[in-house]
Amino acid sequence: MPRTSLAAASLLAVAISLAGCDDKKESASSQAVAPAATAPAATAQADEAAAKAVVRHYADLALAVFGDALSSAKALQQAVDALLAKPDADTLQAARAAWIAARVPYMQSEVFRFGNPVVDEWEGQLNAWPLDEGLIDYVATDYQHALGNPGASANIVANSEIQVGEEKVDVASITGETLASLNELAGSEANVATGYHAIEFLLWGQDLNGTAPGAGQRPASDYVVGEGCSGGHCERRRAYLKAATDLLVSDLEQMVGQWQPQVADNYRASLERKPAANGLRKMLFGMGSLSLGELAGERMKVPLEANSTEDEQDCFSDNTHNAHFYNGKGIRNVYLGEYRKLDGSLLSGPSLSSLVARADAQADASLKADLDASEARLQALVDSAAKGQHFDQLIAADNAAGQQLVREAIAALVKQTGSIEQAAARLGIGDLSPDSADHSF
Amino acid sequence: MFRSTPLLLALTGLLLGACTPKEPNLQTSNALTDGVLLPAYSTWTEADRQLAASALSFCAGNEDLQQARQIFLTAQARWAALQPLLLGPLAEGNLTWQVQFWPDKKNLVARQVESLLQQKPELTQADLDQASVVVKGLSAYEYLLFDKSLDLADAAQRQRYCPLLIAIGKHQQTLSAEILQQWQGEAGMAAQLKKFPNSRYAEAKEAVAEILRAEVSALDGLKKKLGTPLGRQSKGVPQPLQAESWRSQSTLSNLAASLATAERLWLGGKQDGIRSLLDADQAELAQRLDQAFGDSRGQLAALQRPLDELLADKAGRDQLNALYDSLDRLHRLHERELAKALGIQLGFNAHDGD
Repeated sequence: MPRTSLAAASLLAVAISLAGCDDKKESASSQAVAPAATAPAATAQADEAAAKAVVRHYADLALAVFGDALSSAKALQQAVDALLAKPDADTLQAARAAWIAARVPYMQSEVFRFGNPVVDEWEGQLNAWPLDEGLIDYVATDYQHALGNPGASANIVANSEIQVGEEKVDVASITGETLASLNELAGSEANVATGYHAIEFLLWGQDLNGTAPGAGQRPASDYVVGEGCSGGHCERRRAYLKAATDLLVSDLEQMVGQWQPQVADNYRASLERKPAANGLRKMLFGMGSLSLGELAGERMKVPLEANSTEDEQDCFSDNTHNAHFYNGKGIRNVYLGEYRKLDGSLLSGPSLSSLVARADAQADASLKADLDASEARLQALVDSAAKGQHFDQLIAADNAAGQQLVREAIAALVKQTGSIEQAAARLGIGDLSPDSADHSF
Repeated sequence: MFRSTPLLLALTGLLLGACTPKEPNLQTSNALTDGVLLPAYSTWTEADRQLAASALSFCAGNEDLQQARQIFLTAQARWAALQPLLLGPLAEGNLTWQVQFWPDKKNLVARQVESLLQQKPELTQADLDQASVVVKGLSAYEYLLFDKSLDLADAAQRQRYCPLLIAIGKHQQTLSAEILQQWQGEAGMAAQLKKFPNSRYAEAKEAVAEILRAEVSALDGLKKKLGTPLGRQSKGVPQPLQAESWRSQSTLSNLAASLATAERLWLGGKQDGIRSLLDADQAELAQRLDQAFGDSRGQLAALQRPLDELLADKAGRDQLNALYDSLDRLHRLHERELAKALGIQLGFNAHDGD
């Protein structure tokens, strides 16, 4: 383990240590407190101000990313309306394209999830995964689901009342509220009735190709009213798709509100009121946790090691390469204080990177190099998909070269997490403990 | 990384050997390596040797299903006993899933076993080596011997499933033997926990820290293994089929085996474990840890029924929740107070998501 040289600790680090965000501080930071007694108070204040500017800009980034997620979800909503107005191959294709476009900002928003309870407690309704899709609609006969999930084959589309274990649940009217109440039905986290992946399943259907090429093949006729309806219960399926999409939009509206500036009682206001070190810790914890436990672990290592397409993030649409790439992009955004908006403009401002560079230029350079490396490795997954080999094919048991691509991406993310920890230490944030989701690497 | 020549290592060893009485951390890391870690790895390897032999014998008709199950349960218990000792080669090589795949939320074990045998009815060892981790280990072996949809007492089914049973046994035997080998020898893991500095640890305290991290991580893992079926993460609704080793009903005996090893790390074989590193003025903490171990051990031993039965009624769930709370206290004591008392940073990868 590389050791933090005490001399390398800047006055900023000292200021942050003094500000203290919680009682988690360990010996490293309490050592750094000692020289603070002689530090000029003005400098400490200036540094606290600089750190506060970084946290404020972090909130601006969140606002922009969630704002784009909202506008692209509204575009999806329009495309869904068009599909329902005239269900055919073209409108279905357009709705799928809108879903894929909507994932671009949303996946960049996930770096805000870890460390910010307002996001973490909200996101399940939007992005829970993997799901037992038999809860929602028809599935193939060899469908496998979570063991002991009584809702796994409930099929809400086909039934106005569903039997879950001993209980009967009335689902005659399909509204966003009804659907949301069915999430984690009977305690099973595989019961996901709402969000991006429920919509994804409704647009694509099951991917029955396993680790072979191809995504889900749901026909547009699943949304035809009356004669020509395939899959049965098209009216209810239409209502489901509409309700789930509308709910997504309203959920995102709510989250955008939490990050608006100058609102007295929203999440952003409480974040900005606290000492800057608290915000910096959240930023770094979010970067590290997404990088390590979630992306490298749950989303890549599990499907890779188990050769399990069931554990693939965007499994119905075969969009997983993009999901991973934009998760990585989100981590990078937070560090560099940058976000390329959907309108093409670049939002940039006070960054973690500049704070770290002032404390230790080398630590900043290392982390930047690692971010570049991980982006390149994630880009390799995108390139592979463009050539016709998608993530679900890369993880096939007999695809050594494909597995290697995924393995390299995981390794780059793990290495990057180490540098995130180092950067945190340079800012006086010890014991960052990014969530590893119980994975060791 | 590997700059130290054997000569240098030998000299260092001599120097260290010369300066008695030993530094406490050095004493503890030596005692735990010889008294707890190495014996556990040896016993596990031996159980897997017997597992491989049992698969062959059972498939040749020389052993009945009952005997085969018994030998499997022993191998699984040895593996459970190893959980607080997952440091070094096994942990670093990302190999634990090859021994046991859990959690298995979507019943990948059943699905992948069946699809593998469909693709390769004449399964060879090489086929298994290339297959997913899900089908290589104890979870798949357990599926073959215990799943209610299968009956390997039946000759036709044995014919279908035996190539896989034999291949898993062999894979576990080979894997565990390789790991044990990496523990042994002059540059092995055990030596690196005993003589310092080496390419892995600068001093004994780092080795003790690593042992403590592995133990704390396992204690956290025990909470997860109990909490998952108990529904702690699923709105309080029990999920018996999400339990580890539910098919062989060994969830609780696995917990007991892991807990016993953790307590051995604490006490040591001859009162020379982690406990011996606490000073006289830390005696109160030592006593609280003694009690916490005793409480968890006692509660576990008092459970008279299998897990699925306990989960089915309120009295049973109350007992399990009390056990969970006990394990939680034990874990927190380690993580917060013991680590601090020993001056050890648990930090990164401590699996504490709370």
